[in-house]
Amino acid sequence: MTAPAQAQLTRRPRFRLEPYIQFAQKAAAREATYRFDVFTTIASVLVRVYLLRMVWIALYARNVTSEDLPLHAIITYSTVALLMGLVMDIDQTRTLHDKLHSGGIATDFMKPINVPLYFFSDGSGEVLFHAVLIVPSLLFSLLIVHIDVPGPLVLATFFASFFLGYLVGFCVNFIMNCIAFWTLEIHAARLIVTWVSDLFGGEVIPLVIFPLFLQKVAFVLPFAAMFSTPLLIYVGVIKPERYAQALGSQAFWVIVLGLVATLMWRAGAKRVVVQGG
Amino acid sequence: MVGVYKQYWRINVLTTLEYRENFLIWFAFTFVYHGTSVLALWIVLNRFPSMNGWSFRDMAFLYGLWMLAHAVHNTFFSTVGDIPDHIRDGEFDRLLVRPLDTLFQAIATPGQIFPDELLLGLITFGVVTWYAGVRVDATFVLFVPLIVLGGALIDLAFNLIISTVAFWFVRVDALRWIVVQLEQEFTRYPITIYSRGVRTLLTFVVPFAFMNYFPARFFLHKAHEGAMLPAYVGLLTPAIGIAFVAIAYAFWRVGLNRYSGVGN
Repeated sequence: MTAPAQAQLTRRPRFRLEPYIQFAQKAAAREATYRFDVFTTIASVLVRVYLLRMVWIALYARNVTSEDLPLHAIITYSTVALLMGLVMDIDQTRTLHDKLHSGGIATDFMKPINVPLYFFSDGSGEVLFHAVLIVPSLLFSLLIVHIDVPGPLVLATFFASFFLGYLVGFCVNFIMNCIAFWTLEIHAARLIVTWVSDLFGGEVIPLVIFPLFLQKVAFVLPFAAMFSTPLLIYVGVIKPERYAQALGSQAFWVIVLGLVATLMWRAGAKRVVVQGG
Repeated sequence: MVGVYKQYWRINVLTTLEYRENFLIWFAFTFVYHGTSVLALWIVLNRFPSMNGWSFRDMAFLYGLWMLAHAVHNTFFSTVGDIPDHIRDGEFDRLLVRPLDTLFQAIATPGQIFPDELLLGLITFGVVTWYAGVRVDATFVLFVPLIVLGGALIDLAFNLIISTVAFWFVRVDALRWIVVQLEQEFTRYPITIYSRGVRTLLTFVVPFAFMNYFPARFFLHKAHEGAMLPAYVGLLTPAIGIAFVAIAYAFWRVGLNRYSGVGN
């Protein structure tokens, strides 16, 4: 164990919040420098809003339609999902992987900070910047589609559920990047998890449209807690009497995945420190 | 040139064999990627059995055709997409002073390319042809390889155009990402579901509809749908591919001249 690392363990400094706010601000500023990316991100959301609208219209035109989800509800679902994706689809803890690759993680351990919290605030800064993009994306989307707006109770529950979904997403992401403590080649594995979670999280296709046996699979996996739950609350498929249950299962996943992430982090951090940083 | 190209593939295959585990992971990656896409189509069409008259069997053929053409591109031409990286780190200048065509050298820069996607594409195409009940006659045998090659050339043309843009703007990652995304999503469904403007765009400006929609429409005998173009345009894909590669190559020459002209 290096001397500074030991010092950190023995003499823990008093916790202060300001540095973490600074980390978040820096991350947001860093993101804002890629202006062209901002433009393409918004453009790509708009194109996909159009595409999904046309797909659902074509599917609803010639088939027996779903009573749960009439055409306007499913278009609302897809559009809100794409806007949520602006925040959810970000690899917030990519820096963890990058730093494990470059070895920069060693110096982070020497700093008088809580390292996982550093990654959380860095990722959140990036996410908050992208959250700002929701506003222009939403305004332009309204030129292409009509979005249903539910009542205040539903909306409030949706935001609560969205937040829990964000935490689930953060944990899944953090766990994936923690794998880099053991093997650095995680790129393909990450993408595989991303696609499976896109499909089984209900980001593109509402889970209620899935055949029953696949619905069962989807509701056992944690991914449904990321997109499906908030979205089904938004479009009213999950009724107020089931809110407690829905939010409860999301909270369950936050706790379980949070625990897994913590254990992996501890084991991984030990490896780095034991090997001498 | 042929000798150089052979050596290039030898290095690719040897490199891949050396990193066997990586190769297995990337194979799983390709498999899951296409697997989830097809599963998504199946889920939707299981619930809503017809998309503008196209069943899941038709849509599977549409997907298989695109997948094969795209796999041919990814296997033989994907290195064109690395040109911006070479320009950024200065590697590109080395290609300029060698006595072989620059674009050829860029294409034949060894990496870790293995025909896993091509293999998967061929198998998938065989399965969906049978599954969609497409009649395998002389026209099919004669034209499908040409159509697949034409589709790969359309892909190559856009890949080359984006890489050429890097002579002016160094970072083109976002642009490439958006074009790849759009290609994937817009080739997945029959273009009749889009508005007239978007259909025209996909036919004449960014002709992704020639990669799979028009040929599939021909082989599935769906030409009557929508009073658009006659059925045989589905066989024009090779010509369209060559034309667009020619346009892309002309643009490439302009970019290249500008690049070496400034004395970089």
